[in-house]
Amino acid sequence: MALATEELTGGVTKVILDGRLDIEGAAAIDLQMNVIAGSKKAVLVDLQKVSFLGSMGLRALLAPARAIKGRGGKIVLFAPNEMVEKVLKTSGIDTLIPVHHELESALAALA
Amino acid sequence: MTGNGTDKTQDRLTLRSRLSDMAQLPTWIEALASRHAIPADLQFAVNLCLEEAVSNVIRHGYDPETDLPVTVRFSMPREGYFIFVVEDEAPRFNPLDAAELPALSPGEEIRVGGQGVRLLRRFADTLEYEPTPNGNRLRMGFSTAGSAARTKG
Repeated sequence: MALATEELTGGVTKVILDGRLDIEGAAAIDLQMNVIAGSKKAVLVDLQKVSFLGSMGLRALLAPARAIKGRGGKIVLFAPNEMVEKVLKTSGIDTLIPVHHELESALAALA
Repeated sequence: MTGNGTDKTQDRLTLRSRLSDMAQLPTWIEALASRHAIPADLQFAVNLCLEEAVSNVIRHGYDPETDLPVTVRFSMPREGYFIFVVEDEAPRFNPLDAAELPALSPGEEIRVGGQGVRLLRRFADTLEYEPTPNGNRLRMGFSTAGSAARTKG
């Protein structure tokens, strides 16, 4: 699992994940996600290149989300594939971290 | 046995009780999927359920031991129906007895964890547990018929 970041206009930080968000993938991004969660207030997590999401991967998304929201920030998930989105919906995480498939709506949610 | 302690015959994969050994699973599943034409969404479900089941054995059943076996067996009793069985030598524990926590919902404090059983139940078409003389056996079934329902949500 690779993680890259991109600063968008409006103070939004785009976190681009690439690979499997399994146990190994979650561990690979843990530190970076914690740093982002502790410093950014508007985060878009781009899931377009995430091919797999397991329960440990859910944790890797939830923990930073809790930190960001606790600091008064916002976070959204962007463009998961069909099965990844199925995991998000089954767990209910989509009710806590909104899922958007259009960039415009995702950015609007972070405004 | 290979030098890293895993036994990888075609329809059986034996891991040691280390989370790092779980990296063997996706490649093994992918090879099975290629041989048996397992559709992509069902392959995803298998990955999800095996990750959950095997990691639970390692993290809860065997902890802190790191050199105990977790065996995953594959069979295809009929066209379009795939069985994965996880066997261990851990203390008796039926993961299906574990309380399924409700899905996360707005307004509640964000709870990290507790979704594993829920994911198992939703993504496997059949789940059966039985104790063995030495430990536990969890049988998970996946069918292409269930695959259609999975993608519809």
